[in-house]
Amino acid sequence: MDTQRSGSRRKVDGDSAGGISRRAALAGAAGVMASTSGCVREFRSTVNRDDLEPLSLTITTLPADGDRESILLAREIAATLEAVGIDVSIEMRSQEEFRRAVVINHDFDVYVGPHPGGLDPDFLYETLHSLYADEPGWQNPFGFTNLLVDDLLEAQRDADGEQRRDAVEATLEALAIEQPFVPICTPLEHRLVRDDRFDGWADGHLATRTGYLGLEPQTDDSADQLRAVHMDARPSQNLNPLNVEYRDRGTVIELLYDSLAADLVATDGDHSLEPWLADDWEWLDESTLRVSLRPDCTFHDGEALTADDVAFTYRFLEDTALGGSAAPAPAPRYRGRVAAVDDIDVQDETTLELTVGTGQDVGEQALTVPILPEHHWSERAAAATIPGVRIAQGTTDAVVTDNLPPVGSGPFQYHDHTEREHVTLERFDDHFTLRADVALPEPTVDELRVGIDPRSTSAMQLIEADSADVTSSPLESYVIDDVDETDAVGLLESPSWAFYHLGFNARSAPFGNPRFRQVVAQLIDKAWLVEDVFHGYARPIATPVADEWVPDALEWDGADPAMPFLGSNGEVDVDAARTAFEEAGFRYDADGNLRVRQ
Amino acid sequence: MLVEVLTRVVLVVGLLLPIALGLFVGRTRLTTTRTEWRSRIRVAAPAILVLSVVLLASRLIRWGGVDSDIGFHMTETIRQTEGEFVLLFLQVATPELTSYLTAIYIYGYTFLLVFPVIAYFALSDTTMFRRLLTAYAFNYAIGLVFYVLVIAYGPRNVFVEQLLTGSGSSPMIYEHSVEYRYLTREVNQNTNVFPSLHTSLSATVGIFAYLTRSSYPKWFPVAGVIAVSVIISTMYLGLHWGIDVLAGLVLAVLCVALSYQIVGRWSLSELYGQLLESKWF
Repeated sequence: MDTQRSGSRRKVDGDSAGGISRRAALAGAAGVMASTSGCVREFRSTVNRDDLEPLSLTITTLPADGDRESILLAREIAATLEAVGIDVSIEMRSQEEFRRAVVINHDFDVYVGPHPGGLDPDFLYETLHSLYADEPGWQNPFGFTNLLVDDLLEAQRDADGEQRRDAVEATLEALAIEQPFVPICTPLEHRLVRDDRFDGWADGHLATRTGYLGLEPQTDDSADQLRAVHMDARPSQNLNPLNVEYRDRGTVIELLYDSLAADLVATDGDHSLEPWLADDWEWLDESTLRVSLRPDCTFHDGEALTADDVAFTYRFLEDTALGGSAAPAPAPRYRGRVAAVDDIDVQDETTLELTVGTGQDVGEQALTVPILPEHHWSERAAAATIPGVRIAQGTTDAVVTDNLPPVGSGPFQYHDHTEREHVTLERFDDHFTLRADVALPEPTVDELRVGIDPRSTSAMQLIEADSADVTSSPLESYVIDDVDETDAVGLLESPSWAFYHLGFNARSAPFGNPRFRQVVAQLIDKAWLVEDVFHGYARPIATPVADEWVPDALEWDGADPAMPFLGSNGEVDVDAARTAFEEAGFRYDADGNLRVRQ
Repeated sequence: MLVEVLTRVVLVVGLLLPIALGLFVGRTRLTTTRTEWRSRIRVAAPAILVLSVVLLASRLIRWGGVDSDIGFHMTETIRQTEGEFVLLFLQVATPELTSYLTAIYIYGYTFLLVFPVIAYFALSDTTMFRRLLTAYAFNYAIGLVFYVLVIAYGPRNVFVEQLLTGSGSSPMIYEHSVEYRYLTREVNQNTNVFPSLHTSLSATVGIFAYLTRSSYPKWFPVAGVIAVSVIISTMYLGLHWGIDVLAGLVLAVLCVALSYQIVGRWSLSELYGQLLESKWF
């Protein structure tokens, strides 16, 4: 207790003028006032008080070479926060480092960046449930803990149909008040495609596996190779479905790995969950799901894919150490989906029974995780080791391996790669989609080459020069106006479920205070940012779910229905912002700095 | 696309080198070099070896990626220190200047580094040759230490609106050219800008050109113009901060001084000769 007090006093002493005068008072007063004990108590009570400190925060974000929009958003937000008396600095991290800092190490104050989001709002369960506040991964990077929100998140998981819709609405409304993170906007994804080489671009969303399957080659040699150009080098460096630093939505992973069910998403965003690796599924009762696999499926290395591999996958994603670590080491992705499955009972080679702890809607979402070959991954349950270095508990080989070459069972198999140049996949001829009796989109090209080109402008050029067929990553918004559509080259617009957001680290003050987060949310002019940063090619949002799930009350109506901007045209009304902070219980000093207890 | 640029670099430099050799070095020196090259290489072997090792290590470490946990993130510090200095170059930006400086940054720089190696090798006294290689090695070795310690992004990542949105006379409207794609690729790999090795190596060559102006009087002004252009191009293209360039210049002076201190201090060939004599005679 004593050491603690002297520690904090030292901090105050070092704090410029206030500290010095107090120290002087201490020296003088010691002699004068020590005579009476009452005075000593009063003296002690006077000097042993810590002052509020001016708020100084760091926005962690991505550099322009990795994600132009994030840094632009961060700069605008920083300028606004500076204007209302907060000291802001911006820290740029590369794609991998950004995710390592934010979602693994939780080493940030506030961050601005993209979130992979989800077509089903259940992604919010893993994103915000307090059970996951300490886990590394996309599960609750914010450290947000609120028992009432936990209840709502669980309720939407347990409900089905209309009831679930209501439960989701209740959850979203609670989140709009709590603002655990501020959803800013969801981009309109634009991609260039060569219409003269392939037809059928409109059938599948190019952020999912369906975009690359079922394409119809239009010329004699288009069937040889589908040439995608990707603006992010990470797929050429790492193809581990469990790795969180190198994955966004995992489009390439979806082509390499199958899941039991697949959300088939069309370019316009329409989607339906269809049996994929599973032949069919059937609910035996409220919580028992019987899944039968398609017969005679194999992995790319020729080994049979059986119900054991499926059971292994769910066990493994729940604990990548397979019980070998002091505490379970859950995978940093798919957390919420895997948690929906309580138990798996393997009936025979191709039949399993899943006991599901949630409603049926969410239970079926659990079928979308990639199925891993047990014979490759069981040995990766070992803790990662580097001689002489202490590794964080729960860091298994599985979450850090680059998994090259990957062995899955998907419609394409790995062929070769060169870091930062390309990763090339070839058609897996034994894939079930190629069977005559299966009516699912199939790989129609011999080879899929994902070339890496970091700039939208040069990616566009490659398409125009007929050196590539499709930009697999969305184009950056600043180039979209420059696109010349021709007969051969088309511009494809598709909705997104990923979104840009500002995340708070609720583990530290004042970001754990919802009143603080609410005021910050009102300092962000989302509609103006969409015009300024995204050139209009995005939609401002008040809630982070896909369009079909947005409740009427949170529909964007020209302004944020929950957290309206305090100002206009990107210009914050400083007086209004100050008043908002003061009404939320915060204080300003005479110089106009916001002071908080940190 | 990388291959394309590399081929172009090889072509351009391959074309420039014979011309430059004829102009600055002259036939006589080249003829003597043809007869004396073995002995010159033997004398310079230690310097050649050291430079090769340093280059290899630097390549390996930079390709492997620098661990961010060791280094300090300095982008914000640099920006706050020098403010918007590099944006001054935008005021003089023209398409012609951009083409010139982009070409200089890629082709001029490569030529500037390669030519003196051959030119000094053509001198009968190998001292300058060895000093140059040693100075190169120091540049890379010291630069590498900073790359690990200082993590910073260049101005193009900070002044996004001004440098990257490509409006008006911004240099980035040339994003389309093959050369430009090469630049962005390089920048993507290398988030470490402090100090500017383009600056320090160019300045090193410039200083050597000055010191050898009695041997190569016509080379000095040419090297000077190219070196200054490279240094300006790093800032004009938004790749480096003024502080990186300043540090690069200091590094250049330091490396040249070090090379003067070290080269000739120990003569391996003499030691070797003594060894031979004691054994055989």
